Amino acid sequence: MQANEWSLIIFTTVMQMAVGSFVILGGVHFFATRRYDAQAADTLSDRALLAIGPIVILAMLVTFLHLGNPLNAPRAISNLGSSWLSREVTLAAIFTIGGAVFAFMQWRKISTATIRNTIGLVVAAIGLLLVWSMAQVYLLPTVPAWNSPATVVTFFITTLLLGSLAVGSAFVLTYQYLRGRNNLPSSDTQFDILSTTLRWIVLISLVLLGVQFVVIPLYLANLAEQGSEAAMASISLILDQGGALFALRLILLFVGAGIFSIFMYRSLSSESRTRMTGYLAYSAFAFVLISEILGRFLFYESMIRIGM
Amino acid sequence: MANKLGFYFNATACTGCKACQVACKDKSDLPVGVNWRRVAEYTGGEWVTNPDGTVEQNVFAYYTSIACNHCTNPICVEVCPTQAMHQREDGIVMVDESICIGCRYCEWACPYGAPQFNEEVGVMTKCNFCYDYLDEGQSPACVAACPSRALFFGDIDELRAEHGELAEIAPLPPADITEPNLVIEPHHNAKPIGSPSGKLINPEEV
Amino acid sequence: MVAKEFLNDVITSTIMTRRSFVKWSAIFGGGAVVASNLAELPGQQGIGSVLAQEDESVVWSSCVVNCGSRCPLRLHVKDGVVVRVETDNLGDDEFGNHQIRACVRGRSVRQRMYNPDRLKYPMKRVGPRGSGEFEQITWEEAFDLIADKLKELIDTYGNESIYLNYGTGTLGAVVAKSWPPSATPIARLMNCYGGYLNHYGDYSAAQIESGLPYTFGNTWADTWVSNNSIEDIVNSKLMVYFGNNPGETRMSGGGMIYSLQHYKKISGAKMIVIDPRYTDTAVTAADEWVPIRPGTDAALINALAYVMITEDLHDKDFLDNYCVGFDKAHMPEGYEDEDSYSDYILGTGADGTAKTPEWASTITGIPAPKIVQLAREIALTKPCFITQGWGPQRQANGEQTSRAIPMLSILTGNIGIHGGGTGARESTFSISMVGFPTLSNPVSTSISVFNWPDAIDHGPEMTALKDGVIGKDKLDVPIKFIWNYAGNALINQHADVNYTREILGDESKCEMIVSVEVHMTPSAKWSDILLPDTMNFEKMDIAVNGDASNMGYHIFCEPAAEPMFETMHVYDMCAELAKRLDVEDEFTEGRTVEDWLRYCIDETRKSNPDWPDFESFREMGIYKVTNPGDPYVAYKGFREDPEANPLLTPSGKLEIFSSRLHEIGQTWELEEGDVITGLPIYAETWEGVSDPLRETYPLQMISAHYKQRTHSTYGNVPWMKEVAPQEVWINPIDAEARGIENGDRVYVYNGRGRTHVPARVTPRIIPGVIHLSEGAWYEPDEDGVDQAGCANVLTRYRPSPLAKGDPMHTILVEVEKA
Ligand code: SF4
Ligand code: SF4
Repeated sequence: MQANEWSLIIFTTVMQMAVGSFVILGGVHFFATRRYDAQAADTLSDRALLAIGPIVILAMLVTFLHLGNPLNAPRAISNLGSSWLSREVTLAAIFTIGGAVFAFMQWRKISTATIRNTIGLVVAAIGLLLVWSMAQVYLLPTVPAWNSPATVVTFFITTLLLGSLAVGSAFVLTYQYLRGRNNLPSSDTQFDILSTTLRWIVLISLVLLGVQFVVIPLYLANLAEQGSEAAMASISLILDQGGALFALRLILLFVGAGIFSIFMYRSLSSESRTRMTGYLAYSAFAFVLISEILGRFLFYESMIRIGM
Repeated sequence: MANKLGFYFNATACTGCKACQVACKDKSDLPVGVNWRRVAEYTGGEWVTNPDGTVEQNVFAYYTSIACNHCTNPICVEVCPTQAMHQREDGIVMVDESICIGCRYCEWACPYGAPQFNEEVGVMTKCNFCYDYLDEGQSPACVAACPSRALFFGDIDELRAEHGELAEIAPLPPADITEPNLVIEPHHNAKPIGSPSGKLINPEEV
Repeated sequence: MVAKEFLNDVITSTIMTRRSFVKWSAIFGGGAVVASNLAELPGQQGIGSVLAQEDESVVWSSCVVNCGSRCPLRLHVKDGVVVRVETDNLGDDEFGNHQIRACVRGRSVRQRMYNPDRLKYPMKRVGPRGSGEFEQITWEEAFDLIADKLKELIDTYGNESIYLNYGTGTLGAVVAKSWPPSATPIARLMNCYGGYLNHYGDYSAAQIESGLPYTFGNTWADTWVSNNSIEDIVNSKLMVYFGNNPGETRMSGGGMIYSLQHYKKISGAKMIVIDPRYTDTAVTAADEWVPIRPGTDAALINALAYVMITEDLHDKDFLDNYCVGFDKAHMPEGYEDEDSYSDYILGTGADGTAKTPEWASTITGIPAPKIVQLAREIALTKPCFITQGWGPQRQANGEQTSRAIPMLSILTGNIGIHGGGTGARESTFSISMVGFPTLSNPVSTSISVFNWPDAIDHGPEMTALKDGVIGKDKLDVPIKFIWNYAGNALINQHADVNYTREILGDESKCEMIVSVEVHMTPSAKWSDILLPDTMNFEKMDIAVNGDASNMGYHIFCEPAAEPMFETMHVYDMCAELAKRLDVEDEFTEGRTVEDWLRYCIDETRKSNPDWPDFESFREMGIYKVTNPGDPYVAYKGFREDPEANPLLTPSGKLEIFSSRLHEIGQTWELEEGDVITGLPIYAETWEGVSDPLRETYPLQMISAHYKQRTHSTYGNVPWMKEVAPQEVWINPIDAEARGIENGDRVYVYNGRGRTHVPARVTPRIIPGVIHLSEGAWYEPDEDGVDQAGCANVLTRYRPSPLAKGDPMHTILVEVEKA
């Protein structure tokens, strides 16, 4: 484990969370607009959208930390022809800029909703491509622990799971904040948006949790089957040296995305329990975030290259 | 296109002395931790203690001196995001240190450990086949250093014609990943790649 | 400090001190010291395919340390700094006139030169001895302090109280060489001033040097028993190597391994390596490895002899006509009642034990059927080259072992024939040059190289019969003054560091220790006065007697750079002292270092007119001569005609039973358990394989040579520490029993000391034995626990019976996870 891997852990996790948030937010906004009106849909989602910005900037900055020579960083986009890393960097840059443009337009309501929505759609697509390219970066034929479909699946799970729970938390937070200041326009509608959104988020989380719990054993079994020295060493790094962390990650994931989510679902039955909903949403998000960071830590930690 | 250069390594002669490694470090002023040429020790075998206290064994070991193989399909060049890692006409794979951002991605990718990060300058460095020596008609430093004459270099086609095609023995990776321009004369103890019978016993040194 | 910074630092300080340097050389008028002016270097063009950058010059130099090789180094110099090191690149590299390529250590020499440990100016100790606290003094102060003390001590105690300690840090040059101490400028100085206490033997090979001549008679340098030259293995059908590991001990082109590989390929002979470790020699050259427990080689030989005799495979003609002591019918006169060799082997002698393969198997760890097969193979495959390195003899029973191994050559009649050999160390072709004359020592008393702590502690109690004092019945005075020139045996390379600390720590015993050194070594830290020597790359000298199997060579070393800081040539130091001792004229005879080099070359040319003169030699850089004749066969004349060419033994024959040793064994006062016998027997020893102490310390430990260092030289070179980190080898069986995994830090300890070191768990060592390479720089923490893996915190200071030599490989230890 090199010290600079922390910056990669933070970059990949946070970037994926940002993409996920953007996508989920877009989805929520889309459905909310159809069901209610654009203004009602914007109330909660605009503020959440603006929160993504700083997070992305932070993630981008952190990546510089892992470069030996950050001054040359702009050159990293010059090998799109064959380097997935180059593609990743380029897509990350486009996503960041596109997201910023979109957020700004949405905030100031520049141009028409259709154009804004189209831009949002494109940015979301770029975000998903970014996650795809992020995963491709690690599909090195020389690193068995990474060279697996599980890398792609897990990256997307991280994206959607963290994105959902982040959006959920942001919604509750915004809702409580606005209500506290008696600033909620048509609070019934807003609660409706909030609870519907959170219900969906809970369902998404449970599905992703299920997928993750299927993927992990499949991944490990497949790695073990390869049997190479590097593959076995990676397994041992995950299950032996990293055993405690690995267990902790699974528990946090299960509790956060599973148990807390279910309780959250139940807390949505009454507007009076939003305080409880908030606690559950924040905890679920925090648990899953820690779990994902641990998972990403183990992902980098398990890097054993074949050869010498 | 110029002829591709490659190394010929005679594992039957190598004593694991590392004169090649240090000659290389001396030539290019490499700090501790940066080894453009490295020597792997692959060791295995079992011991049995008999009831009378005597012992029997089938222990084996051999060394493999590896630098960059200036591969035909250099994965480091493929993955490098900046094109700092590039391949010359004559096949020599080099880093342009003024372009490299030090992301170390090539280090992850290369199964021979050829790209080596130099903390002091923050960029990747690697074996450049002593192209400056070659230009002067002199052998690469490592080749000229080997006291046991285990290392040679030349036109890879000629080397293959003379010494065969073998380029993979444990603990090296399968040759089909990067198609190394390397020819190995295997040690009598040599094990095939992926063999479970021994292991790279000096990982901290390579 | 990173190398680059240090280099800058070094360069600036060198430039800065150059002015003061010029000042003191003006004061002393020491012209020779400043002779190393780059501007005066001869042009190097035309020497090989030198590839120097435009502003670089290239000079020949050599690595003059104690590995037994003498590697040529071509130093690239830029702005007065060595910027790159190359080795011999002459010719087309055809074997026989091949390039003498330096080993890995020589290639790292820049980090020895520009090392933060370099001593910069004279210093005197200010803290307690060993504290490492020094303060800078001037050269005049240093010389005055030393000269005054020498006068005072010699007045009070006589010259026998002055001792030149063993030091091999700069070895193989003409003037600036530290070994043998009797051939150093310091010896010459002391010889001009009444002499000094001599020593005999060395830390490398004391037991074989003292033991084996009793079998073969004295042949070379009074003590050396040679073997066939390595070239001669082209004639062999089988090669058996006992603890002989040129792949790590003589790993350079100037060493043995390349020749071994080359000739072995030609002969196609099978090679068997018998060693506790699967050495790099075994990896590269062996067809079979027979692991053996340390100190038990003689037991194996006994059983091999048993099989040969009982199966009638021995060469009876040879034994009858060339040897004494094999059987009752051939005992030396007057010793007919003693056991013959066959009595001893077959169990018909005094001990009544037949040395059967079963008997030997439990001692050596080698299964009996393997012993039987080995015996048949060795006896039936002729000619067979048998050789031993110096590991087997560096044991408490080393004299016995050194004589036992050649019994195989004797029993099989392989002596004096092509493809055969004697069982001693292999020899090579070399050409020799007249050395720096050091005059003769008026003192003839001599102690064993290993015994100096006793001579400090209780010199007058040391006697000829008990302690092997030579030249006198007993020592009259203790050692009061130690010259330690390029030596690390003061603390690091001598046995039982913690005991040595006690002896040296008592400043009333040895009153002054002067070290002439280039680096702050552990031994330098135990000195009272430190005199900073110039390094070999800063001075002109000749690296002599290099041999690359069938090729002898000498190297004319040019100074590559000016002496750094205030360092001074050892010869000039001695000249300054000679002035103060009023023997300047006798010492210098008006000559500078260069004058002496010219003198030695001129003297050489008197007996060997082919030798190039000074100027041509200088122009050539390296002078190589390939063996014009057949490969050397040891004792060939004796074999061909034993009557005309008798051996220098009392009987003129090979003495399997040595009457001289038998007598010594009867008269010397030996420590309990020690034996000296007429026959080469297997002697059980203290801390050997069958010592009951194994219940407490179950593991035997050897401290073999290692590629990182030549003994302790290069032990402070970062590149070399990276190449071969100090670690203790332990078999997976022993490691598992102690919960140790590869790379774990462990403690190795016994009743004498403790060291902290990473473990290399490797099947390349026999179970029950660990290997911690000798030479790591002793580094005690506050609790006195060594942190560097210095083997000698564990070894025992108990001289071997006959040689009174160091038994470094005879110790028992335990290992635990740290
Ligand atoms: S060719 Fe040159 S740069 Fe490459 S490993 Fe050999 S010495 Fe080093
Ligand atoms: S110099 Fe030659 S013998 Fe020594 S490690 Fe390198 S390849 Fe092997």
